[in-house]
Amino acid sequence: MADLGGLLDPSRIRLDGRAADRTEAVRQAGELLVAAGAVDPSYVESMLEREDSVSTYMGEGVAIPHGTAGGKAAVRSDAMTVVRYPAGVDWGNGTAHVVIGIAAVGEGHLPVLAALAEVLMDPERAERLRVSTEVDDVLELLTAPVED
Amino acid sequence: MPSIEGSQVRKLVIACDAGMGSSVLMANQLKKRLKDNGVVIEHSPIDAIPVDADVVLTHTKLADRTRAHAGDRPVVAFRDFVGDPAVDGVVAAIHGGTTIDG
Repeated sequence: MADLGGLLDPSRIRLDGRAADRTEAVRQAGELLVAAGAVDPSYVESMLEREDSVSTYMGEGVAIPHGTAGGKAAVRSDAMTVVRYPAGVDWGNGTAHVVIGIAAVGEGHLPVLAALAEVLMDPERAERLRVSTEVDDVLELLTAPVED
Repeated sequence: MPSIEGSQVRKLVIACDAGMGSSVLMANQLKKRLKDNGVVIEHSPIDAIPVDADVVLTHTKLADRTRAHAGDRPVVAFRDFVGDPAVDGVVAAIHGGTTIDG
Protein backbone atom coordinates (compact mmCIF):
# COMPACT_ATOMS: atom_id res chain seq x y z
CA MET A 1 0.00 0.00 0.00
CA ALA A 2 1.38 3.38 -0.96
CA ASP A 3 2.34 5.86 1.77
CA LEU A 4 -0.16 8.68 1.54
CA GLY A 5 1.28 10.89 4.27
CA GLY A 6 -2.07 11.38 5.98
CA LEU A 7 -3.89 12.33 2.77
CA LEU A 8 -6.53 9.63 3.19
CA ASP A 9 -6.69 9.15 6.93
CA PRO A 10 -8.94 6.29 8.09
CA SER A 11 -10.77 8.79 10.32
CA ARG A 12 -12.10 10.41 7.14
CA ILE A 13 -13.44 7.15 5.72
CA ARG A 14 -17.09 6.52 6.66
CA LEU A 15 -18.92 3.47 5.40
CA ASP A 16 -22.40 4.11 6.78
CA GLY A 17 -23.28 7.53 5.43
CA ARG A 18 -26.79 8.87 4.94
CA ALA A 19 -27.73 11.96 2.99
CA ALA A 20 -31.09 13.16 1.69
CA ASP A 21 -29.61 14.66 -1.44
CA ARG A 22 -26.46 15.65 -3.28
CA THR A 23 -26.13 18.97 -1.47
CA GLU A 24 -26.16 17.25 1.92
CA ALA A 25 -23.58 14.68 0.77
CA VAL A 26 -21.27 17.40 -0.58
CA ARG A 27 -21.62 19.32 2.71
CA GLN A 28 -20.73 16.16 4.65
CA ALA A 29 -17.57 15.68 2.57
CA GLY A 30 -16.72 19.36 3.00
CA GLU A 31 -17.28 19.27 6.75
CA LEU A 32 -14.93 16.29 7.11
CA LEU A 33 -12.28 18.34 5.26
CA VAL A 34 -12.96 21.34 7.52
CA ALA A 35 -12.76 19.16 10.64
CA ALA A 36 -9.42 17.81 9.42
CA GLY A 37 -8.08 21.35 9.18
CA ALA A 38 -7.43 20.86 5.46
CA VAL A 39 -9.71 23.66 4.25
CA ASP A 40 -11.40 26.85 5.44
CA PRO A 41 -15.20 26.62 5.73
CA SER A 42 -15.64 28.70 2.54
CA TYR A 43 -14.31 25.73 0.56
CA VAL A 44 -17.60 23.89 1.14
CA GLU A 45 -19.46 26.61 -0.78
CA SER A 46 -16.94 26.31 -3.59
CA MET A 47 -17.64 22.55 -3.73
CA LEU A 48 -21.38 23.21 -4.05
CA GLU A 49 -20.74 25.84 -6.72
CA ARG A 50 -18.75 23.32 -8.74
CA GLU A 51 -21.54 20.70 -8.54
CA ASP A 52 -24.01 23.32 -9.79
CA SER A 53 -21.88 24.05 -12.86
CA VAL A 54 -20.55 20.58 -13.72
CA SER A 55 -21.41 17.41 -11.80
CA THR A 56 -18.52 15.42 -10.35
CA TYR A 57 -20.40 12.13 -10.72
CA MET A 58 -17.89 9.86 -12.49
CA GLY A 59 -19.92 6.73 -13.18
CA GLU A 60 -19.93 3.31 -11.44
CA GLY A 61 -21.65 4.90 -8.43
CA VAL A 62 -18.76 7.23 -7.59
CA ALA A 63 -18.75 11.04 -7.23
CA ILE A 64 -15.65 13.09 -6.44
CA PRO A 65 -16.79 16.52 -5.18
CA HIS A 66 -14.12 19.21 -5.02
CA GLY A 67 -13.90 22.99 -5.22
CA THR A 68 -13.52 25.37 -8.13
CA ALA A 69 -10.26 26.99 -9.24
CA GLY A 70 -11.34 29.99 -7.15
CA GLY A 71 -11.83 27.73 -4.13
CA LYS A 72 -8.18 26.66 -4.06
CA ALA A 73 -7.28 29.66 -1.90
CA ALA A 74 -9.29 28.03 0.90
CA VAL A 75 -7.21 24.83 0.82
CA ARG A 76 -4.57 24.58 3.55
CA SER A 77 -3.34 21.06 2.82
CA ASP A 78 -4.14 18.22 0.43
CA ALA A 79 -6.72 15.84 1.90
CA MET A 80 -9.39 13.40 0.80
CA THR A 81 -12.49 11.91 2.37
CA VAL A 82 -14.53 8.82 1.54
CA VAL A 83 -18.15 8.38 2.56
CA ARG A 84 -20.09 5.35 1.44
CA TYR A 85 -23.88 5.71 1.16
CA PRO A 86 -25.42 2.22 1.19
CA ALA A 87 -28.80 3.66 0.15
CA GLY A 88 -27.25 5.82 -2.56
CA VAL A 89 -27.57 9.55 -3.22
CA ASP A 90 -29.28 10.93 -6.32
CA TRP A 91 -26.54 12.92 -8.07
CA GLY A 92 -28.64 14.05 -11.01
CA ASN A 93 -26.71 12.17 -13.69
CA GLY A 94 -26.37 9.00 -11.61
CA THR A 95 -26.70 7.52 -8.13
CA ALA A 96 -23.62 7.89 -5.95
CA HIS A 97 -22.79 5.14 -3.47
CA VAL A 98 -19.27 6.34 -2.81
CA VAL A 99 -18.47 10.04 -2.43
CA ILE A 100 -14.81 10.97 -2.44
CA GLY A 101 -14.18 14.56 -1.36
CA ILE A 102 -11.00 16.23 -2.57
CA ALA A 103 -9.07 19.28 -1.42
CA ALA A 104 -5.81 19.80 -3.23
CA VAL A 105 -3.35 22.48 -4.17
CA GLY A 106 -0.45 20.09 -4.65
CA GLU A 107 -0.08 16.72 -6.28
CA GLY A 108 -0.37 14.49 -3.23
CA HIS A 109 -3.76 13.20 -4.28
CA LEU A 110 -2.78 12.21 -7.81
CA PRO A 111 -1.83 8.60 -6.98
CA VAL A 112 -5.27 8.08 -5.42
CA LEU A 113 -7.00 9.53 -8.48
CA ALA A 114 -4.89 7.26 -10.70
CA ALA A 115 -5.90 4.23 -8.62
CA LEU A 116 -9.55 5.34 -8.70
CA ALA A 117 -9.40 5.81 -12.49
CA GLU A 118 -8.42 2.15 -12.81
CA VAL A 119 -11.08 0.98 -10.36
CA LEU A 120 -13.71 2.76 -12.46
CA MET A 121 -12.52 0.94 -15.59
CA ASP A 122 -12.85 -2.43 -13.83
CA PRO A 123 -16.51 -3.24 -13.05
CA GLU A 124 -15.53 -5.94 -10.55
CA ARG A 125 -13.33 -3.64 -8.45
CA ALA A 126 -15.83 -0.79 -8.79
CA GLU A 127 -18.45 -3.12 -7.30
CA ARG A 128 -16.06 -3.99 -4.45
CA LEU A 129 -15.65 -0.28 -3.71
CA ARG A 130 -19.43 0.26 -3.68
CA VAL A 131 -20.21 -2.61 -1.33
CA SER A 132 -17.13 -2.43 0.90
CA THR A 133 -17.81 -2.67 4.62
CA GLU A 134 -14.16 -2.50 5.71
CA VAL A 135 -12.03 0.64 5.78
CA ASP A 136 -8.99 -1.45 4.85
CA ASP A 137 -10.70 -2.66 1.65
CA VAL A 138 -11.39 0.92 0.61
CA LEU A 139 -7.81 1.93 1.38
CA GLU A 140 -6.46 -1.02 -0.56
CA LEU A 141 -8.56 -0.18 -3.64
CA LEU A 142 -7.66 3.51 -3.56
CA THR A 143 -3.95 3.10 -2.93
CA ALA A 144 -3.21 0.30 -5.39
CA PRO A 145 -0.05 1.15 -7.31
CA VAL A 146 -0.68 2.16 -10.92
CA GLU A 147 1.73 1.47 -13.75
CA ASP A 148 2.53 4.51 -15.81
CA MET B 1 -15.50 23.38 -37.96
CA PRO B 2 -11.88 22.39 -37.11
CA SER B 3 -10.92 18.78 -37.60
CA ILE B 4 -7.83 16.58 -37.41
CA GLU B 5 -6.90 13.10 -38.51
CA GLY B 6 -6.62 10.69 -35.57
CA SER B 7 -3.18 9.63 -36.77
CA GLN B 8 -1.94 13.25 -36.50
CA VAL B 9 -2.84 13.66 -32.82
CA ARG B 10 0.30 14.02 -30.69
CA LYS B 11 -1.18 15.86 -27.71
CA LEU B 12 -4.70 15.67 -26.32
CA VAL B 13 -5.71 18.20 -23.66
CA ILE B 14 -8.66 18.06 -21.27
CA ALA B 15 -9.74 21.63 -20.53
CA CYS B 16 -11.36 22.19 -17.16
CA ASP B 17 -11.79 24.56 -14.26
CA ALA B 18 -9.88 23.47 -11.16
CA GLY B 19 -7.86 20.55 -12.53
CA MET B 20 -8.26 18.92 -9.14
CA GLY B 21 -10.49 15.92 -9.72
CA SER B 22 -12.61 14.89 -12.65
CA SER B 23 -10.29 16.03 -15.46
CA VAL B 24 -7.31 14.42 -13.73
CA LEU B 25 -9.19 11.15 -13.42
CA MET B 26 -10.20 11.30 -17.07
CA ALA B 27 -6.60 12.03 -18.11
CA ASN B 28 -5.49 8.92 -16.24
CA GLN B 29 -8.01 6.77 -18.06
CA LEU B 30 -7.11 8.20 -21.48
CA LYS B 31 -3.39 7.64 -20.81
CA LYS B 32 -4.20 4.00 -20.30
CA ARG B 33 -6.40 3.74 -23.37
CA LEU B 34 -3.98 5.58 -25.66
CA LYS B 35 -0.80 4.12 -24.17
CA ASP B 36 0.21 2.41 -27.41
CA ASN B 37 -0.43 5.44 -29.63
CA GLY B 38 2.24 7.72 -28.18
CA VAL B 39 -0.29 10.48 -27.49
CA VAL B 40 0.56 12.88 -24.67
CA ILE B 41 -2.44 13.50 -22.39
CA GLU B 42 -2.61 16.66 -20.27
CA HIS B 43 -5.22 18.74 -18.51
CA SER B 44 -5.21 22.52 -18.44
CA PRO B 45 -7.33 25.50 -17.45
CA ILE B 46 -9.66 26.65 -20.23
CA ASP B 47 -7.74 29.89 -20.72
CA ALA B 48 -4.31 28.22 -20.80
CA ILE B 49 -4.63 25.45 -23.39
CA PRO B 50 -1.09 24.48 -24.46
CA VAL B 51 -0.16 25.83 -27.91
CA ASP B 52 0.86 22.36 -29.09
CA ALA B 53 -2.46 20.71 -28.19
CA ASP B 54 -3.90 18.97 -31.27
CA VAL B 55 -7.35 18.21 -29.89
CA VAL B 56 -9.20 19.51 -26.82
CA LEU B 57 -11.82 17.67 -24.78
CA THR B 58 -14.13 19.51 -22.41
CA HIS B 59 -17.48 19.20 -20.66
CA THR B 60 -20.47 20.35 -22.74
CA LYS B 61 -21.19 23.13 -20.23
CA LEU B 62 -17.69 24.53 -20.75
CA ALA B 63 -17.57 24.02 -24.52
CA ASP B 64 -18.35 27.60 -25.61
CA ARG B 65 -15.71 29.06 -23.29
CA THR B 66 -13.22 26.42 -24.39
CA ARG B 67 -13.83 27.03 -28.12
CA ALA B 68 -13.17 30.73 -27.56
CA HIS B 69 -9.66 29.82 -26.36
CA ALA B 70 -8.92 26.84 -28.60
CA GLY B 71 -8.34 28.72 -31.87
CA ASP B 72 -8.29 26.34 -34.81
CA ARG B 73 -8.01 23.17 -32.70
CA PRO B 74 -11.02 20.84 -32.65
CA VAL B 75 -12.94 20.88 -29.35
CA VAL B 76 -14.88 17.71 -28.54
CA ALA B 77 -17.52 18.11 -25.84
CA PHE B 78 -18.63 15.33 -23.48
CA ARG B 79 -21.32 14.98 -20.80
CA ASP B 80 -19.87 12.15 -18.73
CA PHE B 81 -16.30 11.93 -17.54
CA VAL B 82 -16.40 8.15 -17.81
CA GLY B 83 -17.97 6.18 -20.65
CA ASP B 84 -19.04 9.09 -22.85
CA PRO B 85 -19.60 8.17 -26.53
CA ALA B 86 -17.92 11.39 -27.72
CA VAL B 87 -14.73 10.47 -25.85
CA ASP B 88 -14.95 6.88 -27.06
CA GLY B 89 -15.20 8.31 -30.58
CA VAL B 90 -11.96 10.28 -30.16
CA VAL B 91 -10.18 7.20 -28.82
CA ALA B 92 -11.48 5.13 -31.73
CA ALA B 93 -10.39 7.79 -34.25
CA ILE B 94 -6.87 7.87 -32.80
CA HIS B 95 -6.69 4.06 -32.83
CA GLY B 96 -8.15 3.81 -36.31
CA GLY B 97 -6.70 6.91 -37.95
CA THR B 98 -10.06 8.44 -38.83
CA THR B 99 -11.12 12.09 -38.66
CA ILE B 100 -11.97 13.92 -35.42
CA ASP B 101 -14.38 16.81 -35.92
CA GLY B 102 -14.81 19.47 -33.28
